[in-house]
Amino acid sequence: MNNSPKEQSNCTFIPVKHLETIKVFEKKSDCDIWNAFNKGDEMAFNYLYRTYVHKLFQFGSQYSRDSSLVKDIIQNLFIYLRKKRGSLGEVTNIKGYLFKSIQREIIRNIKSNTSFEGFEENFRESHFQLEVSPEVSFIKNESEDERKIQVQQALNQLTTKQRKAILLFYEEELSYKEIAEIMNFSEVKTARKLIYRALSSLKEFIKPTSY
Amino acid sequence: MPNYTDHKKYEDYEFEDFLSDEFFVQWVKSPSENNLHFWEKWLISNPQKREMVTEAARFVRSIQYKENFEFTDEAYIEVFENILKADNHFRQLDTISPTKTSTTHTKKVNSIFPVRGIAATLLVLFCLWAQYEAFNFKIDPEPIAEIVLVKRSNPAGQKSIIDLPDGSRIHLNANSEIEFPKEFSDEIRLVSLKGEAFFEVQKENRPFLVESGNAKIRVLGTSFNVKQKTNEPLYVALVTGKVRVNADNGDQVTLNPDEMLVMEEGGKFYKTSFDPLGVTGWKDNYLIFKNTKFSEVIDKLENWYGVKIAIKGHLDPEWTYSGVYKDEMLENVLRGICMTSGMNYKIDKKQITITNPK
Repeated sequence: MNNSPKEQSNCTFIPVKHLETIKVFEKKSDCDIWNAFNKGDEMAFNYLYRTYVHKLFQFGSQYSRDSSLVKDIIQNLFIYLRKKRGSLGEVTNIKGYLFKSIQREIIRNIKSNTSFEGFEENFRESHFQLEVSPEVSFIKNESEDERKIQVQQALNQLTTKQRKAILLFYEEELSYKEIAEIMNFSEVKTARKLIYRALSSLKEFIKPTSY
Repeated sequence: MPNYTDHKKYEDYEFEDFLSDEFFVQWVKSPSENNLHFWEKWLISNPQKREMVTEAARFVRSIQYKENFEFTDEAYIEVFENILKADNHFRQLDTISPTKTSTTHTKKVNSIFPVRGIAATLLVLFCLWAQYEAFNFKIDPEPIAEIVLVKRSNPAGQKSIIDLPDGSRIHLNANSEIEFPKEFSDEIRLVSLKGEAFFEVQKENRPFLVESGNAKIRVLGTSFNVKQKTNEPLYVALVTGKVRVNADNGDQVTLNPDEMLVMEEGGKFYKTSFDPLGVTGWKDNYLIFKNTKFSEVIDKLENWYGVKIAIKGHLDPEWTYSGVYKDEMLENVLRGICMTSGMNYKIDKKQITITNPK
């Protein structure tokens, strides 16, 4: 058995420069990264862009299907932040901060293009849809399959606010504090209650019968 | 008022308490040294909660956006470029205005230091030239670097380990082929696979994409096994981390550790659990048979040792074989198989003959 043939030796490469940058920043706290960006560190900007642009697009698109609008808003946010370098305030959670900024810009933009009522109406119905990924509840037999349908129906009963909070909590891994900020709650416990109640309403569907 | 989780102890937690606990969610979604140290110990001392915790973790992992909006590579590049160019534009304005004021300042001292006037003018010209150059440099599309593809393949009887430029490692099985660029692009790490390989992907921000048959497997940092043989389903078995598989027809599946995706050629797919040794043992030189049919045993041996096997005599189609060999010579494996089944074997260099005397 040959486990280390000739191929291996031909195949050593010098790592690309930016890889090291990413590694350097991954170990730093959000505060440090933001400070570096504020001081004009281009690598810190590269890191921010690479790390958050996809997430921002996904999040922004929950409000508007107009992908070029969302794209423009993300672009303008970064241009604005770069322009303000040197005078930016402290940021302890970059993702929370960027999400809040994008949300504000998108809502402002949509409001200026449509009537406010129209937006609210729309907001309630179509934004922040969530689903159980197809593989969950592992469709081993029909009763599991049925349970999955029940869970999905229960998820559909949730309000947009609840869905949004759950997505921010699970999918985006944000803390209650950041969720409260993004959702404009003055108190962190409002976010906690919102999620707790939503989950309680789901629990009879998701909780296995054994306990 | 419901009981909020603030003052409850973990051992008294109910299902929904786990679901709404920040530290629990952090452990499920981003396991790291910071949370593993606690939860692993906690689970050992609270085995009665294990089932509840597993189910809660499964739920947390299962929640996802219903609609996925992908930020395309084109958009990624375009927006990045626009941001940098906008910046350039600002910088250009910034540099012009201070130089204007500086020329008015120098006017007062012009008669005494005419050299300063000239120097200032030269400086302004230099700045404009430098800006022009810098601006032009950015605008000029850089010549697209030629992508040099590296291809590695193993014949039957040979396995290999390949280290990629990003630090990822591929264990390539026998009768398999892998292709990847000599240097990955800034956006993505793309490799294409025929056959079977085990990937240990270095975690970083560029997604790692494996193209295999009609599917694309997308990961960040993780270890998993991919097997795609002609006329067989695609198998993706995840050991650590998280992977997403996109089929040609748009179907998308996310795998969690210890789950295996089986995708049939028509695009139909399902998930199962898998035996880690049975699926990934090959990379550590474990040759494993588990109720394996005779024809598959032969295929496996031919592939593993790079030999040809001929059969003489009648074979029971119901016959199966189970056994585990590590770092074993072909002869010992053949002896093991033939002993339990009453068959004889003969080795003539790369040609093996198995005879059933019955």
